[in-house]
Amino acid sequence: MTGSSRTGSLAAFPDIVWLTFRQQLGRRRTVLLVLLAALPPLLALIYRAFGQVDVRSFTDNVFDLVSLTIVLPLATVLFGSGAFGAENDEGTIVYLLAKPISRWVIVSAKAFSAVSLSLVLTVASVLVAGVIELLPAGADGASATEAYVAAMVVGSLCYSILFLALSLFTRRALVIGIGYSLVWEGALSSLLPGIANLSVRQYALGAADGFFQLHEQAARLSPTTALTLSAILIVVAFGLATWRLMRFEMSGSTD
Amino acid sequence: MTAQTPPVGDQVAAPAIELAHAARWYGNVVAVNDVSFSLGAGVTGLLGPNGAGKTTLLHMLAGFLAPSAGIVHVLGRSPNRDPSVYRQIGLVPERESVYAFLTGYEYVRLNARLQGMRNADSAARAAIARVGLEDAADRAIGTYSKGMRQRAKVAGALVHDPQVLLLDEPFNGMDPRQRLAMMDLLVEMAGAGRTILFSSHILEEVERIGTEILVLVAGRLAASGDFRAIRALMTDRPHTITIRSSDDRRLATTLMADPAVFAVELKDNAVSVQTAHLSAFRRIIAGASRTAGVRLTEVVPADESLESVFDYLVRR
Repeated sequence: MTGSSRTGSLAAFPDIVWLTFRQQLGRRRTVLLVLLAALPPLLALIYRAFGQVDVRSFTDNVFDLVSLTIVLPLATVLFGSGAFGAENDEGTIVYLLAKPISRWVIVSAKAFSAVSLSLVLTVASVLVAGVIELLPAGADGASATEAYVAAMVVGSLCYSILFLALSLFTRRALVIGIGYSLVWEGALSSLLPGIANLSVRQYALGAADGFFQLHEQAARLSPTTALTLSAILIVVAFGLATWRLMRFEMSGSTD
Repeated sequence: MTAQTPPVGDQVAAPAIELAHAARWYGNVVAVNDVSFSLGAGVTGLLGPNGAGKTTLLHMLAGFLAPSAGIVHVLGRSPNRDPSVYRQIGLVPERESVYAFLTGYEYVRLNARLQGMRNADSAARAAIARVGLEDAADRAIGTYSKGMRQRAKVAGALVHDPQVLLLDEPFNGMDPRQRLAMMDLLVEMAGAGRTILFSSHILEEVERIGTEILVLVAGRLAASGDFRAIRALMTDRPHTITIRSSDDRRLATTLMADPAVFAVELKDNAVSVQTAHLSAFRRIIAGASRTAGVRLTEVVPADESLESVFDYLVRR
């Protein structure tokens, strides 16, 4: 047994990703999320069964209300906060931190896991629903599908990393994340338009607006502004998560 | 081991672990207070009642708690916020949780890979063999008994052959056979020049593995060094010696006349004697047996166990 033959800190990245996938995919909540993500394709089948091909109606009622308002925030808050949350709750984080690995590598691997799981789930959900219901509508339907795929990509990136960082500051990241989505982005944003600058939902809608003209009230940010704010959010959240992990302390024990 | 309170034991030239006036407090609660000692190669037991600061001390050494004051060095540098130090540290935390969904082999191999070892597979197999977990290596850890989980944790901590091994209550949940095997493993590692510090509330374990101890009481280092040497320094506490002879009553009568003997009691077919000076008593007992004309069959210090030392230090 010797430790003389060693690789660098970055070599741990795939192992942490593998570990996090095993952690996340073994949980019951992931099965519930998959069922939830199946809802848009199911609704698309119902639309088709009734012979309706109405791009505007489908994007407003399914993509906006179900995919963007329910599936995306729930998937990202569960995968984002769960990436470190499970390790923190169960105390296994010590096995990761007691290793010669730079903290930014650990955060990168955890963020990669959370984002990729969220992306697969949300993008696949929108893509399948779009293929079923919107592609027969021609170019307009294809643009609408592309728009909401873009929204899922931007939303998955921003929400996942935001909630991942949040979970390193509080054990209530899940509750706060859902509260942020429902109260801040839902109720308050309709009363205070300025909130759009601090709303991941608006960043996602702004990105979608670059592909498909959403109705007037939907996107309050231009695609450029939305993508710029998304990039700032990702960098800040990643930096805060790394900073927090570097200062990690075992919970206060007097023994 | 060197320490300020009180200095007992061997000096080590290049200490692997060094604390100088280290303290840690949580708000108004002082968990560790002005602790200084240094450790070289060997096994050292960390003793103390609940709340004494043992886990806090181990967390400081593992780099997971910054000292509020003083210095904590492992292998010559501060372990806090320096991940590279973990190439030379193995840690077995007290908390039982391990990745329940991984097999024992996957867990140990993961530790090896996270250590950056290229030979992770063979290192994991070797570490599993060292803790005697081969038969269960391909089972999920969630199905393990408490003792098996402990052994998996130890295998994960030593897979990269660290210079310093920190173990918080490592024998928890192990059966007697597993404990003995684990103790032998730690002694073997210490023999190979590793520095091993473990906390335990089972005093027999500490006594069995090594004679070096650190005793924490209310966050302070009450004693450190060879526990028998510490015991010898406790001149204000009489030693108890149990003697069996061909005529216990006659021997007891003779011993009562000696001023070095505090008390004599006949019980359980033996003579129980209390004296302040153990070395002087060894000479006295030889003369007393000749005077009384009795044959000694057994002379045993009855209270030299670590438990008696520990009890004394805690109550002092």
